[in-house]
Amino acid sequence: MHRAFWLVLALWPATALWPAMAQAEVVVGVSWSNFQEERWKTDEAALRGVLEERGARYLSADAQSSSEKQISDVETLIARGSDVLVVLAQDADAISPAIALARAEGIPVVGYDRLIEIPGVFYVSFDNVEVGRIQAREVLRVRPRGRYVFIKGSPTDPNSDFVHGGQLEVLRPEIDAGRIEVVGDQYVDGWLPELAQRIAEQILTANADRVDAVVCSNDGMAGGVAAALRSAGLEGTPLSGQDGDHAALIRVARGLQTVSVWKDARALGRRAAEVALLLAAGTPPTGIPGAGVFRSGPRGVAVDAILLEPTAVTRDRLDVVVDAGWIPRATLCRDVGGDPPPACR
Amino acid sequence: LNERLRAAELDPRLLGMGAALALVWIGLDLASGGLFLAPRNLYNLAVQSSVVGVMACGMVLVITARHIDLSVGSLLGFAGMCVASLQAEAGFGWPAASLAGIAVGALAGALQGWWVAYRGVPAFVVSLAGLLVYRGAAYLVSDGRTLTPLAPGFGVLGGGVQGSIGASASVALGGAAAAAVVFAILRGRRARARNGFEPRPPWADALRIATALAAIAAFVAVMNAHAQPKSGVSRGIPVPVLLWIASGLGAALVLRATRFGRYVTAIGGNLDAAIRAGIEVRRVTLGVFVAMGSLAALASVVTTARLGAGASSMGTLAELSVIAAAVIGGTSLGGGRGSVGGAVLGAVLMQSLENGMLLLGASSAIRQIAIGVVLVLAVWVDVAARRRSPDA
Repeated sequence: MHRAFWLVLALWPATALWPAMAQAEVVVGVSWSNFQEERWKTDEAALRGVLEERGARYLSADAQSSSEKQISDVETLIARGSDVLVVLAQDADAISPAIALARAEGIPVVGYDRLIEIPGVFYVSFDNVEVGRIQAREVLRVRPRGRYVFIKGSPTDPNSDFVHGGQLEVLRPEIDAGRIEVVGDQYVDGWLPELAQRIAEQILTANADRVDAVVCSNDGMAGGVAAALRSAGLEGTPLSGQDGDHAALIRVARGLQTVSVWKDARALGRRAAEVALLLAAGTPPTGIPGAGVFRSGPRGVAVDAILLEPTAVTRDRLDVVVDAGWIPRATLCRDVGGDPPPACR
Repeated sequence: LNERLRAAELDPRLLGMGAALALVWIGLDLASGGLFLAPRNLYNLAVQSSVVGVMACGMVLVITARHIDLSVGSLLGFAGMCVASLQAEAGFGWPAASLAGIAVGALAGALQGWWVAYRGVPAFVVSLAGLLVYRGAAYLVSDGRTLTPLAPGFGVLGGGVQGSIGASASVALGGAAAAAVVFAILRGRRARARNGFEPRPPWADALRIATALAAIAAFVAVMNAHAQPKSGVSRGIPVPVLLWIASGLGAALVLRATRFGRYVTAIGGNLDAAIRAGIEVRRVTLGVFVAMGSLAALASVVTTARLGAGASSMGTLAELSVIAAAVIGGTSLGGGRGSVGGAVLGAVLMQSLENGMLLLGASSAIRQIAIGVVLVLAVWVDVAARRRSPDA
């Protein structure tokens, strides 16, 4: 008791300094939806790096995939003195009460990667429509005419339609001009690779193998499609994907996939941190460099946004992912065969 | 006709299912302009059905014992990730990796069986927990990354370009199977005579033999009619289908002809009576779950071999197809009654719908509706058939 008293007294001056310090440094509260997915750790490291560089304080909470927990996480982050919030929403609708609370306190909110369709929330993400455009463009480059197949993502995920919309933007003129014929067009429930494989097998059967290119919306499904193509002796048919999965990059190196559209999570994390710091400093959203208005969400709400450009990783551009440290060269180039891509030479 | 059927001891439900399947096939074939029943598509169908089919054989045992296993889809994902990781990251050959994967499945099954049998937690709850745990574990194996490349030669188990046994081996195997069927039926006749039962009418046994031989011959002929790309060599019976047939024969034999199988039926039919009869209910229950886990792992080997990669989402929602196949096939959710043959037909029926409607270019929404409708119709036919002949 006695000793504790002296200890408190001794520390008193230090605690008295806290409020002054808190005013000096910006506190950025980040609410993650779940750390179960490896990729968010990459995002976190990048975001944190920028904050530390600029002397801001990083607070975080992991909602463990629960939208209820995320609401209380956000409340806690506000209570702990966040000047700005970055939210990776588990459920973009369920999070709205917490966002309303932050807005009432005058705390700016950045919606990270997943769209939160509430006016005043700043949206930082990759341009998913551009992902589709890149996929279509790269496939079109190697196969300018012929019989095309679309393998789309889950019908319940709005991203599926963003991506497919981009694909169609590029291919619509070719389809209308009769240079491209669409001979298969399917959603894949849950983006499941093995279902994509069965779907591709059936499309190949229905067309007696007369398929010239497959525009596939992500790498996992592209794996299933590649297996189906191989079984039909059509390996090497132009095929797209996204995510920069190691398995897909290896296919790209071996000439079994045309392109994997890669979203550099580190760029996204860095950009979100910069936006958060600007907003915390009182910069109006429209004054943030590169900001535009995004209104293509399911409800068409207009929000200020920065959409980053994804990267097209083709056989000739595999250096990008190796140089970024995303995949070790040894993993990429193992057993690559007689005609290695530039990154493996 | 009913009298005749009874005399021939043919299972009217199985016949009904066969008729329903034939109707679906003919309908899909007409709608697809002859694509559906072409050898190439029947080969696809056989391989595509094998994953759910292998697991359905185990599910018949589980449901007959009046339990349920909701974890099989997730366990497929977890065991498959283990198989893929051993090959892609630890440098195992595919046979060792596959056996290790099956051991993982057996252990996982034993763990669940222990909770059900020795700790008295309902199978629904235990396997629901398993559904969550194994899906999470599948993720953790590689932090969600897709694992590739797998060992060279693993594709043999997948039914792709390397994954079938060729024409002559298929003919030889078909011949051996035909001989076995004839032998089994003739031996059955003699056993009946020896034990003083009335033998089946000779025409009934002749019909059985003829049906079985025709089915085997047709199957081998169709699989041989599908050629490899480029080289044009006959493919023959796909290896995953052989694994499926082996699982089916094994499960049917266990259920019908072993003491263990009798116990399973007894436990599911009347638990109290089984306990009073001195059956070691707990050990039998444990055994059922070990079998289920092993078969889920075998299915995972086929899935990874087919995909040529391990993805942590493999097997998502497969438990529903597996349970549906068993139930469509006449296995009673009330326990005590199971049919492996029915489950095999059930798996083929479900996959036929997906396969055929994809050929027609039907959207996923339409496919889901059709499969849902058929599920109810199939079970309704079963219920109606049993009401008309309660002893069947």
